[in-house]
Amino acid sequence: MDRRTVLKGLAGAGGLALTGGLAAPALAQGAAARTLRFVPQANLANFDPIWGTQYVVRNAAALVWDTLYGIDASLQPQRQMVESEEVTDDGATWTFKLRPGLKFHDGEPVLSKDVVASLSRWAARDPMGLMIKALQQELTVVDDRTFKWVLKQPFPKMLYALAKNNSPCSFIMPERIAQTDPFKQITDYVGSGPMKFAKSEWVPGAKAVFEKFADYVPRQEKASWLAGGKQILVDRVEWVVMPDPATAAAALQNGEVDWWESPIADLVPVLKKNKNISVDIGDPLGNIGSFRMNHLFPPFNDVRARRAVLMALSQEDYMRAIVGDDTALWKPLPGFFTPDTPLYSEVGGEILKGKRDFDAAKKLLAESGYAGQPVTCLVAQDQPITKAQGDVTADLLKKLGMNVDFVATDWGTVGSRRAQKTPPGQGGWAMFHTWHAGADCINPAPYTAIRANGDKAWFGWPNSPGVEKEVTAWFDAKNVDEEKAAVGRLNKAALEDVVYAPTGFFLSYTAWRKNVAGITKGPLPFFWGVSKSA
Amino acid sequence: MLSYILRRIVATLPVMAIVALFVFSLLYIAPGDPAVVIAGDQASPEDVERIRQSLGLDRPFLIQFGDWVWRILHGDLGTSIFTNLPVSAMIAQRLGPTLSLMTVTLLLTIVVAVPLGVVAAWKAGSLIDRAIMAFAVFGFSLPVFVVGYMLAYIFALELEWLPVQGYTPLAEGFWPWLENLILPAIALGCVYIALVARITRAAMLEVLQQDYIRTARAKGLGQGGILFIHALKNAAVPIVTVIGIGIALLIGGAVVTESVFAIPGLGRLTVDAILRRDYPVIQGIVLLFSFVYVLVNLLIDVTYTLVDPRIRY
Repeated sequence: MDRRTVLKGLAGAGGLALTGGLAAPALAQGAAARTLRFVPQANLANFDPIWGTQYVVRNAAALVWDTLYGIDASLQPQRQMVESEEVTDDGATWTFKLRPGLKFHDGEPVLSKDVVASLSRWAARDPMGLMIKALQQELTVVDDRTFKWVLKQPFPKMLYALAKNNSPCSFIMPERIAQTDPFKQITDYVGSGPMKFAKSEWVPGAKAVFEKFADYVPRQEKASWLAGGKQILVDRVEWVVMPDPATAAAALQNGEVDWWESPIADLVPVLKKNKNISVDIGDPLGNIGSFRMNHLFPPFNDVRARRAVLMALSQEDYMRAIVGDDTALWKPLPGFFTPDTPLYSEVGGEILKGKRDFDAAKKLLAESGYAGQPVTCLVAQDQPITKAQGDVTADLLKKLGMNVDFVATDWGTVGSRRAQKTPPGQGGWAMFHTWHAGADCINPAPYTAIRANGDKAWFGWPNSPGVEKEVTAWFDAKNVDEEKAAVGRLNKAALEDVVYAPTGFFLSYTAWRKNVAGITKGPLPFFWGVSKSA
Repeated sequence: MLSYILRRIVATLPVMAIVALFVFSLLYIAPGDPAVVIAGDQASPEDVERIRQSLGLDRPFLIQFGDWVWRILHGDLGTSIFTNLPVSAMIAQRLGPTLSLMTVTLLLTIVVAVPLGVVAAWKAGSLIDRAIMAFAVFGFSLPVFVVGYMLAYIFALELEWLPVQGYTPLAEGFWPWLENLILPAIALGCVYIALVARITRAAMLEVLQQDYIRTARAKGLGQGGILFIHALKNAAVPIVTVIGIGIALLIGGAVVTESVFAIPGLGRLTVDAILRRDYPVIQGIVLLFSFVYVLVNLLIDVTYTLVDPRIRY
């Protein structure tokens, strides 16, 4: 008899009088094996994948809501809820037919009217959806399983837009839910995906539970990322939110949880030593570290100042600050696009390569007219990745002879302050740090941060006609070769104008107990095909 | 006494209102915007503004505050900006774990700290006394999270006696409930035990010098009777006070403890709400905590009359 049994016995004896009896001492092994306990990267604080676009919401939503198309591991859109599609010769009218037998979790069939309402809500929030909406002539129901999207001119990336995995995805909801204002949160979580959301068990900030949807009919193809047959092999998936990484590591080690989505680099060596735990790269598309400079105000309204910073920055310093000394976790990135993806380019990347030239950078900075004014550098201390980058940048700028106004604060504050278009001395800013999911940087479509359309651009508001021209060229490209050429030119133009400063490409691990099988690498955790033995 | 209690409860209302106004103002002065957090990192400023409008955050401060007060007066704590759930329901959901943690910690403290303090006073100047006081200094000096990690490493990872994290409601069984609380209660209780043990020792030392204790000894009363019947009762007022005040420490410590042991309590809810600028949730929690403080003070005052019949209101 071990000590824990004795403790249980003692506590049981004491508690018997209070509770009238003891609960079962342990879950039956079979039941435990049918419940997969997962520690997500962040807290699931809300659950509307259109209203709130955080990755964690998208990841949970992919269990509950299905999409018409799904992106696969080769980054190609594949049919998912759709049985077939037709496009007219002029490329302007798309007619889609749904698979038969699709059902929502409340037992109602999935109909075209649900799809039309869902796409309308999605298109009001998603950048690609907005582009389609701008071209839209009509989006109409043809019959219960058929709907038609008529455009004023062709949109060649239509299927990619409906399949893409970056937030917000075009999840299909029942019409009554999808009619909710896209800027208001839904409260009904009925989908047609492979799992149902157990709303009654939801403790926002602590726990979210998903149950297998018995009536889900997976496609016959092998699952590949968001495409193919989404076979759920467990009865329940429990998301256990753990704000403390050390606790998550300990819980994984002693089997209280089965899968930890994003272990921090510092704790990975401990996990690797445990014979019951597997550790591997989670998302091969990784992340791109970045800091944005404010193109509206001095000193970074002058391209020479921006280029001076780029000439001096060492991506290795940034990457080691983020992921430590594990060289398998990062690589230099002389460009903006995700390495090892079809459109990756290093064209024009010389400024980020080779020995860092501080003398030349200082000279260029002086030519830009920099006169020692404070450089307001926003750093979110509550996010380790931004904090690490901020520290490196502060050091870099000081070495360049810049006067750094280091504003260490929380992400909520950075998030609101970066939207200020006032000068740095009046509540604005000169630079802030962030990172972009590699999945969002595989091509220009989901890549908000690469856009340089002035006032409409992302924070920092770069204005570069050269960059925008190549973005348009990519959208208009007829084949992969044209796409590659456009992205090469885009990479060069974005580096010349320094749309933002890439600090390197980094990966992160995922870790799971060895009694869990079927975990695949991807830009989000895929639960289909994952099984657990006792 | 009853009218005194009623008067005290009524007197809490303006205190809570002032605290609420202060917190409400502070949050709006502080930088940060919930709409930004909701919209996500890739959102455009226009998206953020639309969300802000839909949440009513673009309205003037006084209108928002007035709206909030009006709802409070109607028993409505509002709706969370993030979860779209009623704040009262969210608090109710998180109250059980925090109350459980505080109860177990409080019981543990009383059971451990009071006897330690009594024994230290009894053996004042001895090795036992010095050992107990050294333990108290040690307990006081260690941050909760350090104790937490140490306990988790030893008792959960190495010995595998107890779980590392989580919370099970009492309704699902006494042991499942208790086993999740033992380590956090010890971690949280360390500071508290040290504080109560030191105060108990000091109070007991003072009482043990009194004439009536000498008389009791002269009458041949046993040491146990002297310590726990005569002395402890007369030393109880400061001990009760520090136990009561310590509840404030528990609430503060619960924030860290709940994070370290992944307990879904009010402490974590508070931190999450502050980081996200979820104003209605923060305001609801602050109101609750204010009420708890006032109530604890009231209970302390009432307890005085029980341990010392000379005190009357």
